[in-house]
Amino acid sequence: MIRALGASYRYPGEGQVVAPVDLAIHASDVTALFGPNGSGKTTLGKLLAGILKPTSGRVEILGEDTRTLSLGRIGQRLGYLFQEPDRQIFTARVDEELALAQRLRGVPEDDVLGRVEEMLDRFRLEHLRDAFPFDLSRGEKQRLALAAIMINRPPFLVLDEPTTALDVVRKAELSALLSQATEGGVGMLIISHDRSFVARHATRILELSRGEIVDDYSVR
Amino acid sequence: MTTPFVKGDYDPRSKLVLVLGLSSLAVVFDYPRILLPLALATVLCALYLRSGVLGSLVRMRRLLWVFLAMGIIQSVFTRGGQPLVELAGVALVTTTGLERGVSIILRIFIILVSAGIMTTSNPRDIIQGLYQWRIPYELAFMVAVAVRFLPLMREEAEDTLTALQLRGVRLEELPLRTRIRTYGYLLTPLIAGVLARARQMSLSVEMRGFRAYPRRTSHRTLVLDGRDYLLMIIALLLVSGAFVAHFRPGPL
Repeated sequence: MIRALGASYRYPGEGQVVAPVDLAIHASDVTALFGPNGSGKTTLGKLLAGILKPTSGRVEILGEDTRTLSLGRIGQRLGYLFQEPDRQIFTARVDEELALAQRLRGVPEDDVLGRVEEMLDRFRLEHLRDAFPFDLSRGEKQRLALAAIMINRPPFLVLDEPTTALDVVRKAELSALLSQATEGGVGMLIISHDRSFVARHATRILELSRGEIVDDYSVR
Repeated sequence: MTTPFVKGDYDPRSKLVLVLGLSSLAVVFDYPRILLPLALATVLCALYLRSGVLGSLVRMRRLLWVFLAMGIIQSVFTRGGQPLVELAGVALVTTTGLERGVSIILRIFIILVSAGIMTTSNPRDIIQGLYQWRIPYELAFMVAVAVRFLPLMREEAEDTLTALQLRGVRLEELPLRTRIRTYGYLLTPLIAGVLARARQMSLSVEMRGFRAYPRRTSHRTLVLDGRDYLLMIIALLLVSGAFVAHFRPGPL
């Protein structure tokens, strides 16, 4: 799915955040990028997802160099859930939010409406369909953001710290939704410092420290 | 008792005078022959004051096309002068239109680069400097907060645009009208973010006793030195010189 070939990254004017890395992420795995705060997890995740372009080396998504892929084309190959749900909500109603990308991608309206209903049901958002998304709770916003990605039926998901600010109950709900997605054949890269969450979902763990992968092992 | 601020940088007040001068000139004049040297002077000032001009432009690269589009729209829709590009006998771009378009781009460039100079000062020092100039503390605080949050808003705008495209929306392939409407969607999370942050900040500053007393005292004070006065004098000479040159009788 994703291959890094000697890929490294440094922010302009700063030191190297991610040391050169050779890595293959498979669509059949649930891979976790695990490490403490500041270890470079999010930067490596964005590098692998093609949001950041490597300062040296190369990253390929389904065989294509991310330098040649626009963000829109990357979004047709994978879904990316940002840590902050408020930055990925665009409309004034929950159901419009789910339909937005589908409409912009030119999906026929009947199909859009069908998929919106499916997502409202699957992510337990039916009772909130008319709600103003910014009034939702953190857990509801997280579900909405994930549903708005899943409606595009991506074969692979990158989730950046999905459990941040979620209580035990909301975390369990998110776990159930992700398990449902993996059973449906969706591969994942989970960026997290939440050991129990990672242990529950990951089939492979990449441990990061100071921008370097210090361990890479399968857990199932 | 107050302690003077020991500094290695220019006083934020001298920078503010320079920035106000440069941006005022950019607003008043709309001729490329004035704006071009002004843009050059702004870049030199920014480099001298160690404001990352290139870095700022790189960070705003996704918005640059909007400014370019504004320039092109001005070029196309402003009539006058000699036609430069014609289609079936209709002038698409005229000399006046082109001049107006270039002016718009230069004007925005000057305002952005000069505003970047203020981000080289500590927000706390900006407040202190303005307060010492007898600007009401509340107003000074608002100015400093605006300066402090500009980079954050830019980062949010970029993240939001990225998030939208990562839903598989290929902006570059959308028809122009749809693309413009799509950019409108980016305002929703931006405004919501600003409102949420304003609410949190007002609560936070009030909990810390903001405006608890009518008069504030300050442990540290800013002192203008010779370099600061020199910078302000140069800025004032630049502004007044440009005005005199422009408004004097006779051709420019």
